[in-house]
Amino acid sequence: MLVNRKLILAHFWLAFAVFGIALTLGAWQMFIRSPIGTWLSNPELYYRSLTAHGTVMGYVFPTLVAMGFGYAISESALEQRLVGVRWAWAGFWLIVAGSIMAVIPIALGRASVLYTFYPPLIGNVFYYLGVVLVVVGSWIWVALMSINLRVWRKAHPGAPVPLAMFANVAGSYLWAWTAVGAALELLLQIIPVAAGLKTTIDAGLARVFFSWTLHAIVYFWLMPTYIAYYTIVPRAIGGRVYSDTMARISFILFLVVAMPIGMHHTFADPQVGAGFKFIHSAFTALVTLPTLLTVFTICASVEIAARLRGGRGLFGWIRALPWDNPMMLALAFSFVMLGFGGAGGLINMSYQLDASIHNTQWITGHFHLIFGGAIVIMYFAIAYDLWPHLTGRELIDLRLIRTQLWLWFVGMMITTFPWHWVGILGMPRRMAYFDFGDPGIAPQALSVTLSAIGGFILLASGILFLVILARGMRAPQTDAGPYRFALAVHQPATVPVALNTHALWVGLMIALTLTNYGYPILTLALNEGTSVPAVYVGAQ
Amino acid sequence: MTARDLFTFRNRHFTAAVGITAAILIVTAIGGFIVLPFAQPWVQFANVWDAICSAAGLPQRAATVAAPEQTRRLSEVVLTSSTLARPNQEAIGRGATLAQRCAICHGPTGISRADSPNLAGQYAAVIYKELHDFRSGARTNAVMSPFAVNLTDQEIADLSMYYAYLPRLPAYHPTPQLPKPNIVIYGAPMRGIAPCGSCHGSLDNKIGSPWLEGQSEAYMKAQLQAFASGERRNDISQQMRNIARAMTPQEIDQAAAYYASQPPDVVKAVD
Amino acid sequence: MSTEESHHDGAEVAARVERRWATISVIIIVAMALLAAFAGIHRATMPQPRVETTDPSRLHLSGEFVESNLGSVLETNGNVTVRAIGQQYSFTPACILVPADTPITLRATSADVVHGILIQGTNVNTMLVPGYISEQPMRFARTGDYLMPCQEFCSFGHEGMWGKVKVIDKTEFADRAKGGGRLSCVGQ
Repeated sequence: MLVNRKLILAHFWLAFAVFGIALTLGAWQMFIRSPIGTWLSNPELYYRSLTAHGTVMGYVFPTLVAMGFGYAISESALEQRLVGVRWAWAGFWLIVAGSIMAVIPIALGRASVLYTFYPPLIGNVFYYLGVVLVVVGSWIWVALMSINLRVWRKAHPGAPVPLAMFANVAGSYLWAWTAVGAALELLLQIIPVAAGLKTTIDAGLARVFFSWTLHAIVYFWLMPTYIAYYTIVPRAIGGRVYSDTMARISFILFLVVAMPIGMHHTFADPQVGAGFKFIHSAFTALVTLPTLLTVFTICASVEIAARLRGGRGLFGWIRALPWDNPMMLALAFSFVMLGFGGAGGLINMSYQLDASIHNTQWITGHFHLIFGGAIVIMYFAIAYDLWPHLTGRELIDLRLIRTQLWLWFVGMMITTFPWHWVGILGMPRRMAYFDFGDPGIAPQALSVTLSAIGGFILLASGILFLVILARGMRAPQTDAGPYRFALAVHQPATVPVALNTHALWVGLMIALTLTNYGYPILTLALNEGTSVPAVYVGAQ
Repeated sequence: MTARDLFTFRNRHFTAAVGITAAILIVTAIGGFIVLPFAQPWVQFANVWDAICSAAGLPQRAATVAAPEQTRRLSEVVLTSSTLARPNQEAIGRGATLAQRCAICHGPTGISRADSPNLAGQYAAVIYKELHDFRSGARTNAVMSPFAVNLTDQEIADLSMYYAYLPRLPAYHPTPQLPKPNIVIYGAPMRGIAPCGSCHGSLDNKIGSPWLEGQSEAYMKAQLQAFASGERRNDISQQMRNIARAMTPQEIDQAAAYYASQPPDVVKAVD
Repeated sequence: MSTEESHHDGAEVAARVERRWATISVIIIVAMALLAAFAGIHRATMPQPRVETTDPSRLHLSGEFVESNLGSVLETNGNVTVRAIGQQYSFTPACILVPADTPITLRATSADVVHGILIQGTNVNTMLVPGYISEQPMRFARTGDYLMPCQEFCSFGHEGMWGKVKVIDKTEFADRAKGGGRLSCVGQ
């Protein structure tokens, strides 16, 4: 039951439009700093582009996808009209306003501080205010998801919350809480300095606040993808979810352990104690658990689909899968990229191995593989799956869709594998150009060139994606029927309270944040001597 | 289904979740705060409490270290982005009076007819720092040093704000504008040279670095050579010596000639 | 056997398989954590043990990061301490001189914004955050030249912030250290 289609379409279209722009910037960046590009006569342009790319891809694009998908889930999984549609539009327009407010100073070159902010570098205040507005807009969505679930519960006392909505609300709570770190950094530290009310800032504290957001935000990006794994893929390929309970446990685990782990980004930082680094490292190891459980459950679910289609044998069933179905293809690509990306992630989070790749191109390769690869390819799949229900028109050209997915997968592989490699060779991040003529870094030239070519393949795929969606708006009309989610093999009649509500897990999430972040933040905040003079970027 | 049913140790989910979380936290805390600190033989801790505090990240002031004597007097100026950030009219007025004695070399409008630096519209922090350094002896010059030695802190600030306030006028060394040499545009990354503009104003301004457009070619060349040879050392922590040392003599010539040929308006005026 | 019962049995089987997998997952994770702890104890690169603070805009006035104290010094116990700072857009000393096969302590900080020190081909990799002192142990097995780029964006000259490390023979370093002072390979 999708009633507010315009609202959902508006979110998706805005998301994919800004994605297209940021993708183009990204491809240009790959090219311009590679040996096939020429050195920029103004390196600031590179950092300007990088700021726009990161801000859009990190804060605007995934947030809009999660919001649009969230509204779709709320209406179709709960079979209930969205409560608070006006508020939803208000949230949408806040994001539009915030994005415009942030992009103008970036475009003028007044805020080329990169999306990680990293004070004491300080850019134009409107950049930060714009980012705050985007976050505030998304918090309206969080509240609406919670309210809609509550309304449904009242009408269905004791009934199991549909898995898709349970996961969706878990994702929204995760976002609400993880965004608090960056929000505190912006509101308490950066914006007063950028507005000229203060002249000093604690750079170490800012990095700790940012790590609060920077890691769990990845799991927020991941949520729509995991929801698609569990509740769309099995239905789309004609199977069933292996286990409803395990799915709930996975989402709950994300809620609890995605948060108190962000300090593995600060292993090399001097302002955080080694003890807390170790605790965060251990909890980061734990966050692999929900992913391992998911891999098992989804593989089992896919196997069920294959056996229902007549697949036989220990591995023979793989051949029986509907490989021409874009959802199947996207899932397979996503899993491959998740596998490689996850393996790389284990290196980043390990207390010692991190030192060999910290802040090298390995890191950029890693999160492009996980986010741009495993996660975004499922965003594509979600859009393809939802589109006929939103537009009332069919996406006819499956071959084109498969081509697009293949291009994205191949492009991402060609981009990120050499990217990881040059990271191991010690190539630093975020430089506008490199002198590949120097014998010290000449061996990296070939890999960087390959990455740049991969970037153009990704750009081609992104353009194709937008073309497919745009053509879908003008395709012949069809009745796609109600939007449905996958059922479990053993659909539960009742679910224990703990697995049907979020309160306990939100409580644990907040408690673990306090134990793992409380002391480091307090000591740094109360320590007077470590605020340093702000450094304002830009020409004078 | 109430909160009371959920948040009770009779609920096995609650007990298990809280118990497991607490257990992991305790085990990892013992590992991180006690076991690992003591398992590193190359780090010495006074006692368990010291180990725990260190692992928790309790900030400590660095121990004092006996540094060798400086062979030469170095800059003692502390510069931050708020140094002289708020000019006021009175200070500028006082500065104007004081500046009359500077006019012989630096020109009545702050534009030099000789090879002295043009000061009109220069960043206040730059003049402030150089005057302080001349006064302390961190930088020496036969003409400048006697002038600076008697200035008070207030007078230095006034002069700095006055010159920063003057409009940036074209220089007296008119040469045809030269194309930008590579050393200025790109620097030389592998020799550790960033583009000149990333400190000197056109891209970004590192506090204390002057903008250079229209300055005397001979003056800039002499300063670069002095930085390269170590004869001039008042750049804090070698920030300019690091660059000048890595430049070739030819690059020094090119950079000096290029900046001398530029009109000052390519740098945005200070607001 | 009724369908009801077989449905129930199926659920049991599914749950059992699932539990088994969950157990394997937990074992994998515990093994990883133990591996990390083991490597930590056996002198792999570790995060620094203490948090020390300093005032970045006054580094040049007093304390261990004054200009005359930057560079490498041979301590009485035969170890070497290297002190360095990062600033927009260079390291001082721009070329760090160290001996091979010697325990070395790198102590460094930033004079302005966030920088990073990364020595290519080694595990030496630490952030320089203004206000805090970074410390890292290092040891070089072979002599030669290493590149030392800044690995964190530090404004628009970041791409030009590359330092060098020169590792020389232990005895040669000891010879040079006889003169006292702080050693570096700047200008060589």
